[in-house]
Amino acid sequence: MQAPEHGTLTRPTPFTREPLRFLNEEGLPEGDRDPREVTGLSDAQLVDLYRAMVLSRKVDQMGWILVRQGRAGFYISIQGQEGAQVASLLALEPQDWVMPYYRTPPALHVRGATLVELFGQILGTNADPSKGRQMPAHFGSRKHRIFVLGSPVALGHVVAMGAAKALKYSRENAVVISYGGEGSTSEPHFHSAMNFAGVYRLPLIVFIFNNQYAISVPRAQQTASETLAEKARAYGFEGYYVDGSDPLAVYWVTRFVAERARTNHTPALIEALTYRLDPHSSADDDLKYRPREEVEAWKQRESLARMRRYLEHLGLWNEEKEQALHAEYDRAIEEAVEQAEQAGPPDLEEMFHEVYHTTPWYLQEEAREARRFAEEQEGSHA
Amino acid sequence: MPEMTLVQALRDALAVEMARDDRVVVFGEDVGRRGGVFTVTEGLQERFGEERVYDTPLDENGILGMAAGMALMGLRPVAEIQFVDFLWPGFDVVISDIAKERFRSGGQYGVPLVIRSPYGGGVKGGLYHSQSPEAIFAHIPGLKVVIPATPSEAKGLLISAIRDEDPVVFLEPKKIYFGIKEEVPEGEYTIPLGQARVVQEGSDVTIVSYGALLHEVLRANETLKQEGISAEILDLRTILPFDGPTLLESVAKTGRIVIVVEAPRILSVASELAAFVAERAVDYLDGPIVRVTGWDTPFPYALEPHYLPNVRRIVHGVRRALGLVP
Repeated sequence: MQAPEHGTLTRPTPFTREPLRFLNEEGLPEGDRDPREVTGLSDAQLVDLYRAMVLSRKVDQMGWILVRQGRAGFYISIQGQEGAQVASLLALEPQDWVMPYYRTPPALHVRGATLVELFGQILGTNADPSKGRQMPAHFGSRKHRIFVLGSPVALGHVVAMGAAKALKYSRENAVVISYGGEGSTSEPHFHSAMNFAGVYRLPLIVFIFNNQYAISVPRAQQTASETLAEKARAYGFEGYYVDGSDPLAVYWVTRFVAERARTNHTPALIEALTYRLDPHSSADDDLKYRPREEVEAWKQRESLARMRRYLEHLGLWNEEKEQALHAEYDRAIEEAVEQAEQAGPPDLEEMFHEVYHTTPWYLQEEAREARRFAEEQEGSHA
Repeated sequence: MPEMTLVQALRDALAVEMARDDRVVVFGEDVGRRGGVFTVTEGLQERFGEERVYDTPLDENGILGMAAGMALMGLRPVAEIQFVDFLWPGFDVVISDIAKERFRSGGQYGVPLVIRSPYGGGVKGGLYHSQSPEAIFAHIPGLKVVIPATPSEAKGLLISAIRDEDPVVFLEPKKIYFGIKEEVPEGEYTIPLGQARVVQEGSDVTIVSYGALLHEVLRANETLKQEGISAEILDLRTILPFDGPTLLESVAKTGRIVIVVEAPRILSVASELAAFVAERAVDYLDGPIVRVTGWDTPFPYALEPHYLPNVRRIVHGVRRALGLVP
């Protein structure tokens, strides 16, 4: 173990061939290090971390229900990645900025987004801070320093890089974290973001969920690189390979590189080894490209199960608390969905607003035209 | 007022805005030490420092992503793309991020930035140093597209573009970077975006153009005058949002319209203006709507003089609009 270089945490080892982890697949600490000591997480924080993971899972389950009920048009799941997603978000400070990718939103309550806002986005109602402009899985909220993602894979990386440049230019003591799947590392945007981050020494963390499939294409067909993390070497900074089903290891690595980036503008790449337990999206059939047994095997070692066993091992959790937590979140989610739906769909004119800061003459004309047709249509249905 | 070339006027505009506003940052390939391959940014790094004027890796995607992210955070980046022909590796950032940021965030975010880039033919640049892709950008809701035609116009429009709350693709007619000099107002000088300029009033025919070709139109006008044809000449200057009202007003007066652009014809800016006039002003029209454009081919090298609209083709177009030739 090396002495702390920056901030409070010991330095994780970059470029390992095996993923960094504290917890084995049974959720028990392995090795001679107490993860509580290394991460600095108190018992209460450990429980909070687990609670946030459970909430993300339950938000996600409700997302699927809303699709099946026909109340949402589409859904993209976080299941299997809760530990890495929640832990990396918790490792940040309020002044940091988050570029989500489409599996991030169910965890964004960690940044302070309310459940009503999150479901407002899924349902496309006025409860969405972005006014229902995008399909589900595209949540963003400026007041929580969460950027609004677009659908093209990896686009967020290159824009996050620019945001990190602005932080450095403005001498703000903050970092940008940009999330993506392993497929995103094949896109030109990944290269541009990494290269510029290295050249300009930007406070950027590119956080890759290696969930082993980009829709149906397996990891081995994305890159011949032994790990994704080692790609950072070519850009002149460090990459960390971490077990994404071990929230404590993810927290440690993310918190360390974030503190370092705020101090001396060192970018970092993190590869979190995870597994996507659900199909790519509500429009995918994953049994066409991977065996059910593989999915079932990963369910045994995913982050929620591991973290729960770890808490139980520490005597911080039990079945009674688990039941109470689920009941609490069931109620909260039910209320949030109802409230989000009651906010109602955006007004027709919203289609023409915010294309520009000031709406030009032809869009004003088109808005009047659309309104006229909508009214005619309503009239004909009456 | 000092006389300036278009390049000097652009440099002046950048300097004025950088001195006024710390949020304005200039970057791109060779813009720092070299001062830009066309020297637009010459001297700016010495004056404003390497944090505000800097060279980038040779990666348009990175340049545009950097611009998008900086604007997202409240800065006013002015990114130079060395030739617009080389922008395309970063087109995803333009079409998927920059153009849609305000809309997709419900107005939570905006990206007030300027993409400066030389465009257009007339410099023996061949396929990849000559194109006029303004219609491609103008087809993307959320962008503004501006093309100046003279040095003072360039200064006033660029300052407005930098101050605009929305992303502006600012295309500079490289053919006239150095060839035209005129008096340019000193200090802060702005020209509102979205307004066409009536270069010359007339009564027989409306000629709309922009960029370097506007000067070809003015040369053609000498011939037209000799033939007793009174042309109203409009400089569109903002391609999106284009100034429909001024165009209609002019056509209502003249009853004839010729649109002159150097881009390929099919689905060009000329096509949109023609459709706009046809839909809204057909009752005023006394002749066919005429488009004088580049041909629908890649931009040729050896045959460049036959590609670009010239005085002969513009005059012929006007005669067609007036029914003087078939």
